Amino acid sequence: MELDTHVTGIKGKTEQRTQLWKRFKKQKTLHLFVGLGMIFLLVFAYTPMFGILMAFKQYSISTGIKGIFTSEWVGLKHFNEFFNDYQFGTIVRNTLALSLLKILFSFPAPILLAILLSEVKNLKFKRFVQTISYLPHFISWVVVAGIAFAFLSTDIGMVNKALLGLGIIDKPLDILTNPNYFWGLATGSAVWKEMGWWTIIFLAAIAGINPSLYEAAQIDGAGRLARIRHITFPGMKGTIVVVLILTIGSILGGGLVGSNFEQAYLFGNSINNPTSEIVQTYAFKVGLRDGRFSYAAAIDLIQSVISVILIFSSNYIAKRTSGSSLF
Amino acid sequence: MKRNKGKKALLLSLILMMTIAMMSACGNSNDGQVNNSAGSEPPAKSNEVKELSLFIDASWYPVKEWTGAVAEKITEKTGVKLKVTVATDDKQLPLMIASGDLPDLVFTNSNIDRMSDSKLSYPWNELIKKYAPEFKIDPIRIAIHTMDDGNFYTVRNSFATQEEMAQNKYSVGSDGNPGIAVREDILQELGNPPIDTIDDFMKVLGMVKEKYPDMIPLIMDKDWIEQYFLMQFGVEGLLDGWYERDGKVDYAIRQPEMLDFFKFMNRLYREGDILAENFAYTNDQIDDQYATSGKAFAHMHTVSIADSDNSKVKNAGGTYTFKMLSSSISKDAKAVSSGLGFAGTFITKKNKDPEASIKFLQYLASDEGKKLTMFGVEGEHWTWNDEGYPNLKYDPSDADFVNSNGIKWWYLYNDGVTEGMLSYVPGAQKTKALMERKAITVYKPELGLIQLQPDSDEKTIKTKIDEMIKNEKVKIYLAESEEEAVANYESMVKNAEKIGLDRLVDWANQTYQKKKDLFKK
Repeated sequence: MELDTHVTGIKGKTEQRTQLWKRFKKQKTLHLFVGLGMIFLLVFAYTPMFGILMAFKQYSISTGIKGIFTSEWVGLKHFNEFFNDYQFGTIVRNTLALSLLKILFSFPAPILLAILLSEVKNLKFKRFVQTISYLPHFISWVVVAGIAFAFLSTDIGMVNKALLGLGIIDKPLDILTNPNYFWGLATGSAVWKEMGWWTIIFLAAIAGINPSLYEAAQIDGAGRLARIRHITFPGMKGTIVVVLILTIGSILGGGLVGSNFEQAYLFGNSINNPTSEIVQTYAFKVGLRDGRFSYAAAIDLIQSVISVILIFSSNYIAKRTSGSSLF
Repeated sequence: MKRNKGKKALLLSLILMMTIAMMSACGNSNDGQVNNSAGSEPPAKSNEVKELSLFIDASWYPVKEWTGAVAEKITEKTGVKLKVTVATDDKQLPLMIASGDLPDLVFTNSNIDRMSDSKLSYPWNELIKKYAPEFKIDPIRIAIHTMDDGNFYTVRNSFATQEEMAQNKYSVGSDGNPGIAVREDILQELGNPPIDTIDDFMKVLGMVKEKYPDMIPLIMDKDWIEQYFLMQFGVEGLLDGWYERDGKVDYAIRQPEMLDFFKFMNRLYREGDILAENFAYTNDQIDDQYATSGKAFAHMHTVSIADSDNSKVKNAGGTYTFKMLSSSISKDAKAVSSGLGFAGTFITKKNKDPEASIKFLQYLASDEGKKLTMFGVEGEHWTWNDEGYPNLKYDPSDADFVNSNGIKWWYLYNDGVTEGMLSYVPGAQKTKALMERKAITVYKPELGLIQLQPDSDEKTIKTKIDEMIKNEKVKIYLAESEEEAVANYESMVKNAEKIGLDRLVDWANQTYQKKKDLFKK
């Protein structure tokens, strides 16, 4: 290769350039698409990053955008304040616990559902289940919170009424307010809402497996479970790893199913606050309601740094152990 | 050839799109013109009516549009009409400030500190000097609202000094005072037990629970959970306020009486008189539904709650009625008025016509303007009684009538004396409750002067402490035993001290010493 370029290099860079230009012209529609995406990232992801400066300054909103540059430097003051907040431990614990619980339950769930669905022979039933399970994905969290209230409220909730009526419990369950139920409520509702949606990706991965493998295994006498274990599962591995890395990258936002913020904000109240306050809701409250943008920026910056560390390390581990990785 | 076709198609579709856009734009502007000429016809005989935008920073605000007899009359008198937006939540105004997207006028109570900023609002003193030199505001009100930069940016409504209140015996107070209504029929079935002390009340709640197990003994409006009982225990100020003893100021949560209050609230919960869920309501209609659907015995809200529940029940065809408990059911009961008023109007820097705005407020501040906003149109809604109060031709507790006519709620500038007269309806339950309250009221407006400057360290500390209290107080209310409640209370106070309560209190005392002479004559 190296020698090659060396030789052609003399012949003329101009020729190379025209070739490049020709190739570019050929692909111009594609470049247009990529370009739009890049502009989007540049405008909405990279440009606003100068706002990070705020985290190290004493910024006041009334000074406008200019104030981000002109306000006084305060170093790590805001970071220290967050670390010394009386709720710091609780908030971080809640964020991590909620995120880990969601990964633990919401990641395997669509894989299992996809495998189960792929084993269903009745096509109508399969479609029915798939449709039903992915429909909740399209409901907004605000609506889900409303539905949850109708189902789970201690006073008018259908679930409580049914359980009381059947004599299974003798006191209504305060699922919406008891701090002990919040993590379960959040994880459960997130799995319910997003499981069907992610199943589609895994079903696609299963569809890509060569059917002759199954036939051969059947002839060799492999049962259903053995086929799942030795053919379906390894066939999905690549997809699973990529999705897992993406999930870990966004773990603090709730991973695959996202929505940590929406849930903590909508299901959270002053009673379950000890388990429902997370970093994002806290930053939102101090940032917007109290107008302390510097402090909120510092809090979010901490969270972003943790996320970046997580995605790089999970990518590294995935590369070492399974060979597939994002980058 | 092929490429040409593609180009042609593109061009054609572009032309088509542009023509459609142009046509629709024309259509719009046509519509606009028609509307404009139609809209400006009637007032054209005097001057042109100016439209100003107003943001109301209170999601519960009962009037949402500039309509009704009062609004029309104000427009007639001032040539100004308002385009009103009511907040959807408490973060909307901070967001608008952040994005610089402010309307002409802002009416707020919780963001007065933040809006009193020369970058966001016009100082009233400058505007008055320039455009409305006859607009006279009394010196106490100016002093209260003057910020560190020497300007005042608003004057709160609902404020009256002790002397003003004493001089006007028919000014009994505003609706915004706490009260409890109880079901009259059930009380009768229980044999009309007396409710003269807090313990009596607890006993009655217990009886209700025993006899009507499906009923909730006490339902509370989400914004009125503490005020009534704080008053009964003689606590000065609310959980986020100040109290004064022997010339020294301290934060309200450290008052000795505060622990008794918390123990009592916890007892209410442990004995099953209140719902835990009540502390999680984000909607202020839930408690009303409980009360007016017959599912609750007592309803805690404001002094007008019995009247308004009764009219709702009656409209729905119900037969039972509510009656107000006395405003004082304890010998310790004490209402401390440290209020500087409720909310104020700001003329923002984005205002397109500061002159019209300040003149608009000047009219509202005139005697005629105050009576018009507060009581309605003279002759049509009220006539003046020579005793010194208005004879109202409507029931001020009939919320539908009051709101649809825009009575009271356009009090962008008003005072506590005029407002207090709206509540003087001989014979009404609210009036009685308010007179009882007036009797136990102590005035300490100096406490209200402990005001924080926006973006100051003290403000940050106070915000953090208040937020902490909001979270921690629920743990006290819902503790499983009294020991646990006391322990949670102590840990709350300790947390506050960790955040910097002592520094805040030191600062408050300095400010208090500096400002308390303002009210001395």
